[in-house]
Amino acid sequence: MGDKPIWEQIGSSFIQHYYQLFDNDRTQLGAIYIDASCLTWEGQQFQGKAAIVEKLTSLPFQKIQHSITAQDHQPTPDSCIISMVVGQLKADEDPIMGFHQMFLLKNINDAWVCTNDMFRLALHNFG
Amino acid sequence: MPTFHSTALGKSMEYWSCNHSKSTSKVILQNTKSEREPQQKCDQPLEKCGTNRNEVSEISDDNSAVQGKKKGGKISQGNLGRKNLHYEHTGYKLLPSKLQEGDRNVAISTQTTRRNKKRGKWHNEEQIHITVWKDTKPEERETGEDTQGKTMGNWFKVTIPHGRKYDKAWLMNTVQSHCIVPFTPVDFHYIRNQARFFVQDVKTASALKDISYKICDEENRKISVFVNTSAVPYSMQNKFTPEQMEQLKLTMSKRYDVSQQVLNLQKLRFDSDLVGHDIHMILNRRNCMFATLQIIESNFPELLSLNMQNNKLYQLDGLSDIIEKAPKVKILNLSKNELRTTKELDKLKGLKLEELWLEGNPLCSTFPDQSAYVSAIQDCFPNLLRLDGQEISTPVVIDPDAPKLIKPCKESYKGSETLKNLVLQFLQEYYLIYDYGDRQGLLSAYHDEACFSLTIPFNPKDPAPNSLCKYFKYSRNMKKLKDSNMRRQLLKHTKHDIVDYLSVLPKTEHDFSCLMVDMWFQTETMLCFSVNGVFKEGVLFAVLEAEGKSQGCVHAFTRTFIAIPTNNSSICIMNDELIVRNASRDEIQSSFSIPMPALFSTSMPTLSQEQQEMVKVFSTQSGMKLEWSQKCLEDNEWNYTRAGQVFIMLQFFGRHNIFSADTTSLFERGAEDRTRAAHMPGEPLPLEPHPQPQQSNLLMNTKYYFKSQRN
Repeated sequence: MGDKPIWEQIGSSFIQHYYQLFDNDRTQLGAIYIDASCLTWEGQQFQGKAAIVEKLTSLPFQKIQHSITAQDHQPTPDSCIISMVVGQLKADEDPIMGFHQMFLLKNINDAWVCTNDMFRLALHNFG
Repeated sequence: MPTFHSTALGKSMEYWSCNHSKSTSKVILQNTKSEREPQQKCDQPLEKCGTNRNEVSEISDDNSAVQGKKKGGKISQGNLGRKNLHYEHTGYKLLPSKLQEGDRNVAISTQTTRRNKKRGKWHNEEQIHITVWKDTKPEERETGEDTQGKTMGNWFKVTIPHGRKYDKAWLMNTVQSHCIVPFTPVDFHYIRNQARFFVQDVKTASALKDISYKICDEENRKISVFVNTSAVPYSMQNKFTPEQMEQLKLTMSKRYDVSQQVLNLQKLRFDSDLVGHDIHMILNRRNCMFATLQIIESNFPELLSLNMQNNKLYQLDGLSDIIEKAPKVKILNLSKNELRTTKELDKLKGLKLEELWLEGNPLCSTFPDQSAYVSAIQDCFPNLLRLDGQEISTPVVIDPDAPKLIKPCKESYKGSETLKNLVLQFLQEYYLIYDYGDRQGLLSAYHDEACFSLTIPFNPKDPAPNSLCKYFKYSRNMKKLKDSNMRRQLLKHTKHDIVDYLSVLPKTEHDFSCLMVDMWFQTETMLCFSVNGVFKEGVLFAVLEAEGKSQGCVHAFTRTFIAIPTNNSSICIMNDELIVRNASRDEIQSSFSIPMPALFSTSMPTLSQEQQEMVKVFSTQSGMKLEWSQKCLEDNEWNYTRAGQVFIMLQFFGRHNIFSADTTSLFERGAEDRTRAAHMPGEPLPLEPHPQPQQSNLLMNTKYYFKSQRN
């Protein structure tokens, strides 16, 4: 049976779409967020589509490339999908860094949007 | 169920073809009242009552239609002046504001309310019908209705079904922001479940028609907007003459206390000045309220306190304009009026009231007790400090910085601090079992229908990192794992499957000193957070078993939990997603950096005689090696009893439910925490300096604590 459960299909295509947008033109990422979305970027929180897009576009690099090494998707109690991604990224001429990111996807008006997004670089922090 | 046909409505009408109309009990009626037929029997309500007003109202079920007939008879004998046919009008129901006498208003409203309660609900509309009522016969439309003969241009009535559930400010902002033509809504009011207002020109009307179904509410339901032509809105009719307005202003100025910024409009109807000038300020009437507010807006804009006591007010649609016209009002006295429900107060929600008087209104006696009454009012006015002259406690203010997906429930937490603590405590207990206990003990941490999956990143440049190979067979990395069956199997569902699976995974020891917890978000129903850090494979103490062997491999991980609240003020996991990856060199070097006690060298540090004795006894009793006994005692500051308690506690974790908010956290080194452990069920604490020999299960249980992987 080649059937993927629906959340995997949606999750995978979302992930692909997201990183493609991010790498090519991250100003267009606004389309996948809504006004109630929340982004946690390295511990900082941004709420709302506008704030999120502003943060993402203001990140201090021109070129960025993501390479996904792992992704996993699960359905959640309220019919959302939680997706976890681990990978590596290279920004401009910086060294390659690991990162992981989590998305919570929700179906609104027959489109899957991201309501929560959490990004962390794979660095070790001490509390 | 009566049906109605377009013939009654004039040409080029498209009908509201309610697909449910046959099955539901809703019927949409043409406005049935006509001044030409005051005596209608209304057996066939729709056929006979044939004005060409294009007011649309509903009667929800046959009962009320029947009632309506009867009442229609009564009402038709009443004073149905021409101007009364404006809002919300079926011929059976009249908004009492249209009647002449203030007192009569009350009587009719009772009937109306009763009927309203019997009405069924709107169906959840999935219908995508846009009714465009092109026109009616214009010559019959307005002229007869307007006693003062003013035709104030083309007016259109805009109806938003289900509009009642929306806050007026939000609704109007949303509508206005989507409408390409800017406009000012006139006479906004709620009628049954609908919200209605009026606009004045054709361009606005068509612009508003266009936005129907293009805007969504907070629950992402589409909002429909219906636009019909209509007669002049009530507040625009019967406008007071300039002389009357002048007199009104004078009278109000007399009632205005400049020093306190208080305007006293008690019993305005019977003010001798006004009566003397034949001005009847019946504040239930839209035009009167409108005029009053106009005067307030232009003459007393700094108004702080408004007293509307004793004005027989039973609805506050008109007063809701006060939010725009006198926004600084903080004190409002509506006592001794006829307000029946708090829904009327909802119309004033935009006002930041600090003091409110409501006593003497029918609504006050609809609550089971005083505190229910107070909290209902507080729901409308969160900043309210005094109600009916009494101080009320300020409600909990939600931390505006906490990330919200949906508005969080006030009762569920008192601020993000509590939530953080809850999560931290949960994690400590979770990892204690995960690392040191029998993982079967995690059953109580998971919901019955929970999901878990584990993923290892696949790095093409570094194909088979040895350290992670143990995990590969458990990994559900979408990229690597093409076999859907395998994938399905590896998404563990139900708590038993999960815990069985976890028990099979390699043993771990997490470095708690540098665990990072990210709180994602919380909603009324769930909480999401993730944990980042490193862990060592095997148990730390494996070092002693095989000297010279390198320490257990260190891996980095990220684990995301979605948890829901449980009955006993704790949380349980619904989703658990774990990613294990290679730790970077930095991560490895900086982890587990808290220096291990010197214990881990083979030589024993010097202890006092007494301490050495203690260690020996402890070792005998617990069955642990001397080194571990020493460690345990050292950790507990050589308090023998306490060390014993801790030891026993560790053993019991695997078997007892500890997921309650009250459980002691073992990671804190405070003395009081340890002693609190006394509430743990199980064997009494027998360890005393010279006790009886221990039971053998102690010995057996120590093995899992100290051995390395047990697969």
